[in-house]
Amino acid sequence: MGGLLALYAFDDLWNLSNHVYYGLTALDHRGSEKYVACTVSNGRVKCYKDSKERISKEVTTPLAIAATYSNEYSDIYLGSYSTNNLEFVMIGDRDSKIMDIIGEEVTSRLRSLNTSMTNEILLTFKEVLNELNGKDIPSFIAITNKGEILAYRSSTGLTPLTLGGYGFDLALISSESRAIDILGGDIRKWLRPNELLYLSKYAVKSIQIQGKDTGHLCAFELLYMARHDSIVDGINVYKFRKVLGHALAENLDADVDIVVGVPETAIPYAIGLAQAINKPFEIGFVSTGKHMRSALRVDPLQKLIAIHLKMNPVVHVLEGKKIALVDDSMVTGATMKTVSQILRYRVGVEELHVVIASPPLIRGCPYKLMPIDVKSLLAANLDTENAVKYLEVDSLTWIKPKVMSKVARIFNVKLCGKCFGIDFVG
Amino acid sequence: MKVLLVGSGGREHAIALMISKSTYNPKLYVASDHNNPGLSRIAENTGGKLYRTKTTNPQEILRIAEEVTPDIVVIGPEEPQFAGVPDLLRDRGFSVFGASSRCAEIERSKVFARTLMWKYSIPGRLYFRAFSSLEEARKFVEYAGDVVVKPARQVGGKGVKVLRENQAYLLEEYRDVKKDFVVKLFKEMAKYVDIDAKVLVEQRVEGVEYTAMTVTDGSYVLALPLVQDHPHVYEYDIGPETGGMGSISGPGWVLPFIEIDEFKKTIEIIDNVVKALQTEVKDRYVGALAGQMMLTALWGPTVIEFYSRFGDPEISNMVPVITSDFLEMIERAVDGRLAGYKLEIRDDIAVVVKAVAPAGYPLNKKIAANHPVSVDEGKIRELGCTLLYASVEELGDGALRTHGSRAFEVVCYDEDHEKASRKADLAISYIKSLDGWPLVHRSDIGSAELLKQRQYLAMRVRRTYKARARRGLLGTSIVWVPGRGIFFDPFTSPTIPR
Repeated sequence: MGGLLALYAFDDLWNLSNHVYYGLTALDHRGSEKYVACTVSNGRVKCYKDSKERISKEVTTPLAIAATYSNEYSDIYLGSYSTNNLEFVMIGDRDSKIMDIIGEEVTSRLRSLNTSMTNEILLTFKEVLNELNGKDIPSFIAITNKGEILAYRSSTGLTPLTLGGYGFDLALISSESRAIDILGGDIRKWLRPNELLYLSKYAVKSIQIQGKDTGHLCAFELLYMARHDSIVDGINVYKFRKVLGHALAENLDADVDIVVGVPETAIPYAIGLAQAINKPFEIGFVSTGKHMRSALRVDPLQKLIAIHLKMNPVVHVLEGKKIALVDDSMVTGATMKTVSQILRYRVGVEELHVVIASPPLIRGCPYKLMPIDVKSLLAANLDTENAVKYLEVDSLTWIKPKVMSKVARIFNVKLCGKCFGIDFVG
Repeated sequence: MKVLLVGSGGREHAIALMISKSTYNPKLYVASDHNNPGLSRIAENTGGKLYRTKTTNPQEILRIAEEVTPDIVVIGPEEPQFAGVPDLLRDRGFSVFGASSRCAEIERSKVFARTLMWKYSIPGRLYFRAFSSLEEARKFVEYAGDVVVKPARQVGGKGVKVLRENQAYLLEEYRDVKKDFVVKLFKEMAKYVDIDAKVLVEQRVEGVEYTAMTVTDGSYVLALPLVQDHPHVYEYDIGPETGGMGSISGPGWVLPFIEIDEFKKTIEIIDNVVKALQTEVKDRYVGALAGQMMLTALWGPTVIEFYSRFGDPEISNMVPVITSDFLEMIERAVDGRLAGYKLEIRDDIAVVVKAVAPAGYPLNKKIAANHPVSVDEGKIRELGCTLLYASVEELGDGALRTHGSRAFEVVCYDEDHEKASRKADLAISYIKSLDGWPLVHRSDIGSAELLKQRQYLAMRVRRTYKARARRGLLGTSIVWVPGRGIFFDPFTSPTIPR
């Protein structure tokens, strides 16, 4: 899954170049330094794929859509369409054939309409999306050469979209509330699953597409993807992670001296767990260079580099201690293996107890949101005994689905749990 | 009793409705710029008449007044006040409800209003600078930081640039927009020769806005229940500023997110302003005076601007609320006996007013104008709602045509805002565009979600202003310029040329 950003200025005085740059920066953790931005100039929609610096310089207009991603072929959908005098580009937050169908259907219907009423594209999108009722459609944003922006939140509600406002001047739409804060805006609305939003100079409209309007957010949005300072569908991400960390104590048997989190996502889980078992939380690692999200790296070497750079141990904190090491999730176990090697051989810890804030990952993602290959999933292929041996740890504890469900219910949210082998968490 | 009402819009329709309910059985005459069907009907039903005229032309209004010989003249909008309509009528012996041109200076000139508040040390004032030179204004906004840039004169409730500037990394963008906006404003303001300063730059504050409407006879200030307007044109507080897309009030005297004590402080501010203003301009204030207020962390109740008349659409909220005689209130204000009047209200209802405008409003009124519309008023009445005609004209053929601004307002009430809001949406479904041109209204006004946001914001702001009050810091912004000392003017900075 990537990160989407749409910006609309109602006043033509605005040049949104820096807004694109810093908005994408606020979403950097949802991709790995790959970007696309589309804007309208001289009546044409133009897209640019390049570094953040370069593409933001191309956007000197009062409206734009943009995205950050890791893998061009799975993390985003990018499609451009044209008919009569209308051009539009859609960016989805994952690749899906249904996006082509939507684009082509909208195009062919607009061709036969042949009028130029306002809101026409909105009504056509509405019609097409309504007919696809029940299908899994990714969240997407779109821009037209007539200066309109559309935003749609996935039919299943898997990935969020948030609408923000900046005074009387800007409307901001983002995969994560964080980008709205960074651009000085205020959060105005969490889009509901299946909600279609339309922005133009003379109308802002929200339309509920037929189908379920209660969806299930991808569990990884709250577990890993969103930043601590974001609010997702009204849920304070930091608080959710801390409460989940607290709940981890229920399954942990080992007696430890300190609690340490794998930076950076796992820090609130570790704080929650430390408070629950009344042991000190310590900073165990300090990262070097700019923050990189190892799990989103596709290339194995790049992934290893990212882990090594962000996991420089604070030796005297860890040396000779019985440690509870908390992480949000474990996919292949490569990160954990690398960390345990650092802790065993470079630091020399007494005991290492790994605590994971998600249930075991045993299935692929049917929505292709996370690039998961089942045969490389640690939990799907190794039993606990072998996993503990391979990772060179003293114990391995995963949160139980029913414990996580209990936490999800506190926050009144239903999460997709397909990759844990269950339908829903919460 | 004969009443002559000057004005053409939704506000005047609301005033006319309340006047027509009086036990004085008034005959209502209206001087209007266009044939507002709501106003003409009330005039007709009460045995009066609607005159089409130019409401900003004192001689024209005088001629109508001489023909009608009204007991009271009520001036609805601000522009006739600025143009001296009340002055000429009073001079000719008419009893007039509506600020004189000298008193209306409080609305017309933002610089005058701000200066007055500073001169008389009235709480809720903001730091500001006024500019008559484009170059100076451009230079100033470049370094001024977190400010609001406004036209120095009232120009129909628009043209404000509010840029929250807490992001140093977006500074360049903000500066460019502000500088370009100043140039644009000077160009627009050039046509107003009645004012020296063209652009006002003031301290930006954040918080919850509300409108406090009052009526005064010059010595007594009578407060009406608080109302909150919604200036953004689109749902969820998105998009450009308008004159107001709808407003909420009640139940009771205050809004759900304003405390009684804050209401009292607000009225004290307006009371102080009435006294200071009369001293300053040496004239008696008879009419409505409204404060566009904001609850801020800086002061608590803070003045954004003043209206020398009732708010539009805010006065519409009063239609189902005021149960005592509205015309008696006006009469007593004119006679200087307002202190003896008891304003009675229905305090068990929440009121939601929603405006309906043709698409294009407010950025492009040209494309919004001249669209045929129809309305099923009977159906709206069945819901218990009131329809107000605003910027819409009835042409000879019975068809209604939009003028490019807010065309209608619906006024609905219920036990809570959410229910009243749903009712208003239903009422609006009986307003139809006849040429397919889209009509815009905000379904979110009065929603529980929006109210929750306001309550949350008010709570946050209240926490800070009360903490500041405890340390004696209300209204102050402390700037330390190393080597020069402590200053209280937030515009003091080593980088700002003074």
